[in-house]
Amino acid sequence: MFDVGRFVANSCSGMTRRSFLRVGASVPLALGMSNLATVASAAENRRAKSVLFIFLWGAPSHLDMCDPKPDAPAEYRSPFAVIPTRTAGVHFTELLPQLAQRSHLYTLVRSHVTTAPGHPDAGTVALTGFEETPKPVKPNFGSIVAKHRGRRGSLPPFMSIAKGVVMDGARRIEGYGGGTLGSPYDPFMVGCSELGEAEIPALKLLDGLVPNRIQDRRILLNQLDNVPRALQSRGFEDWSRTYQTAYGLLMDPKARSAFDLTRETRKTRATYGQSVFGQSALLARRLMEAEVPYIQLNFSRHVEAITPGFEFGWDTHIYNFDLLQDLLCPIFDRAFAALLDDLNERGLLKDNLVVCMGEFGRTPKINNRASRDHWPACYFSMWAGAGIEPGRVIGQSDRLGEHPLTDPISPKMVGTTITELGGIDTQVRAEMNVLEGGRVIEGLI
Amino acid sequence: MRRRRQRSEFGKNQPTVELRPRSDLRIGFLCLVFVLALGTVTLAGEPRRLTNDGRRKRTPVFVNSEELVYVDLEKPELTTLKRMKLSNLSVRSLHAKTNAQEFEPAFSPDGRFCVFLKAIGTLSVTLVIRDERENKDVLLPPGGGFCGFRNPSFSPDGKRVIYSYAENNLQDLYSVNTQAMDRRQLTRKSGMNYWPSFSPDGKRILFGSTRDGNYEIYTMNPKGQDVRRLTDSPFQDLRPRFSPDGKRIAFTSNRDGNFEVYLMEENGSSLRRVTNHPERDDYPTWHPGGKQLVIVSERDGSHDLYLVPVE
Repeated sequence: MFDVGRFVANSCSGMTRRSFLRVGASVPLALGMSNLATVASAAENRRAKSVLFIFLWGAPSHLDMCDPKPDAPAEYRSPFAVIPTRTAGVHFTELLPQLAQRSHLYTLVRSHVTTAPGHPDAGTVALTGFEETPKPVKPNFGSIVAKHRGRRGSLPPFMSIAKGVVMDGARRIEGYGGGTLGSPYDPFMVGCSELGEAEIPALKLLDGLVPNRIQDRRILLNQLDNVPRALQSRGFEDWSRTYQTAYGLLMDPKARSAFDLTRETRKTRATYGQSVFGQSALLARRLMEAEVPYIQLNFSRHVEAITPGFEFGWDTHIYNFDLLQDLLCPIFDRAFAALLDDLNERGLLKDNLVVCMGEFGRTPKINNRASRDHWPACYFSMWAGAGIEPGRVIGQSDRLGEHPLTDPISPKMVGTTITELGGIDTQVRAEMNVLEGGRVIEGLI
Repeated sequence: MRRRRQRSEFGKNQPTVELRPRSDLRIGFLCLVFVLALGTVTLAGEPRRLTNDGRRKRTPVFVNSEELVYVDLEKPELTTLKRMKLSNLSVRSLHAKTNAQEFEPAFSPDGRFCVFLKAIGTLSVTLVIRDERENKDVLLPPGGGFCGFRNPSFSPDGKRVIYSYAENNLQDLYSVNTQAMDRRQLTRKSGMNYWPSFSPDGKRILFGSTRDGNYEIYTMNPKGQDVRRLTDSPFQDLRPRFSPDGKRIAFTSNRDGNFEVYLMEENGSSLRRVTNHPERDDYPTWHPGGKQLVIVSERDGSHDLYLVPVE
């Protein structure tokens, strides 16, 4: 089910709420109309119908997960045992047993570097390929794909799964959206609870309005009769594109069903685990099946691991080993393994792309608080689908996991590779004025 | 678990540890798992499920023989302490009006004091000693910057709190009195030290440590001397707890491929596995009667409390 919740925006200068909704459902969406020409030429080189970018926001520790260094000195070495993966000669720590068993489904990259040491800037670099400054901020990879593909049907071309824009403390990450391409290419936000209830923040209008109560238009319109009169007190022009998109979703049963996790079997939902990330991963799979061109699945909205009011992210300056052991890795290992299995069994890895990574790594040397701090000089990613040969490792870090020994792979190269697989080649990128100077990750595709 | 030598990516033929894939498990073992619907092999009797919400839970502890407190991931951004009556399984919040993460509770033997951890800022966690009789909190504030305490518990006389704290690149064990004063350092060893708790007679402290390279279980005397290692596994041995009579220790280990609850004698002998399920069993705590454990079991991706008889 998905819950549209409470909605505070207003509408309708001289327009009834019902007629507004009709408009909302029928307005030609500018986003799609402006790109029909581009859409037509996009498909030829495309290897990924959908891109799923799993953002491990907060930065997971490479040494404690996918790039263990058991021969390192004690002040560096992870306390977790090393286990073999299904790929000969490649090892993970014991924190990722299920992903270790599925290494034949993805390719691991161990030689990432980024330029920014702090979350806000590194988050922007991870999502756009460029630093926040100089302004203006460059577009999210998803925004590039969204502009290129345009909209087909009611589902937005770029969706981000979290209960809002990803944040570092009270600061949102500037690279979350359209950047120089403009706000029309911002992601459409959708949240998901640990019980699989999708929530669209833009539709916080009607208390208790859930899909099983809006199975037909009449019920929805009856619901609207209960909307406070305040809805009519402000101009229709205040309605943003986001709300139009959201209502378009509501009115399209096919689009709506993409959010309805109750259509999955209990077994499938259980396999992903009762966690926000687990059920969000299942939602992402449904959005991929619905051919949403770009989905950004955020492990958490906030980076902070233990901070009042914030979800548990990967920023483990304290309790690194405890949080990895007891909370973060069990959730991640279960859900990502379930997702890979599910995509593989459904044949969705053939022509869709999955990329999983954080914004940087964590200090190889254990810090003053027996944890790990930020480390932009080396980290990992995982790539599956879209014709990428799985079961490989690309790139190598040094004996302490401090620096790549091989060609350093930058976020811009990540974005270039993603867009290339999404059918946006060098010429198109140049025409769009995005990812200037980018090159694909050698050996990956 | 199998040890094997294979060509390693680390440049030499070093031993690695292989988690057995499920397909390698013996048919008999699979049948056993299948037959036991709840998946928990008990040494006596059947487990009793205590919660049904499936939310992630941690660190159950008994306040007395009728009530226990546990950590509940109530919202994605909030862990709270819940108090449950075993007689009717009713649950209420231990502390009303909390909007910050609270976790790792423990109670003095007489129930007068409760100690727990509370997030008070960005990656900043304080230790709270709550005097229920006087309705008064004493806080042990963390150091500056990102900092926090871990794993508090009481001495058998209820006069001291022992806990884990990281500074100067180490994570050592300390104790303070119930006024959070008179800090004493109990360990001075490399690695990280966790989960300290006294034996019921107060003569030994049980704890976990990575001092030998990975998570193992040890005991020492109350002055931090006479350290004895009780476990030796290449995997994780976690969260040890003395039985009420002090003769046995329950703990969690993934030595057989995933996280299960084990028992051993106080000296580390007579190791026995209590649970056996492909999903995680963890956080064992003894019922004061000494014949049951409460554990957190993951089943179908959900986490609930179970009361498991053990003889």
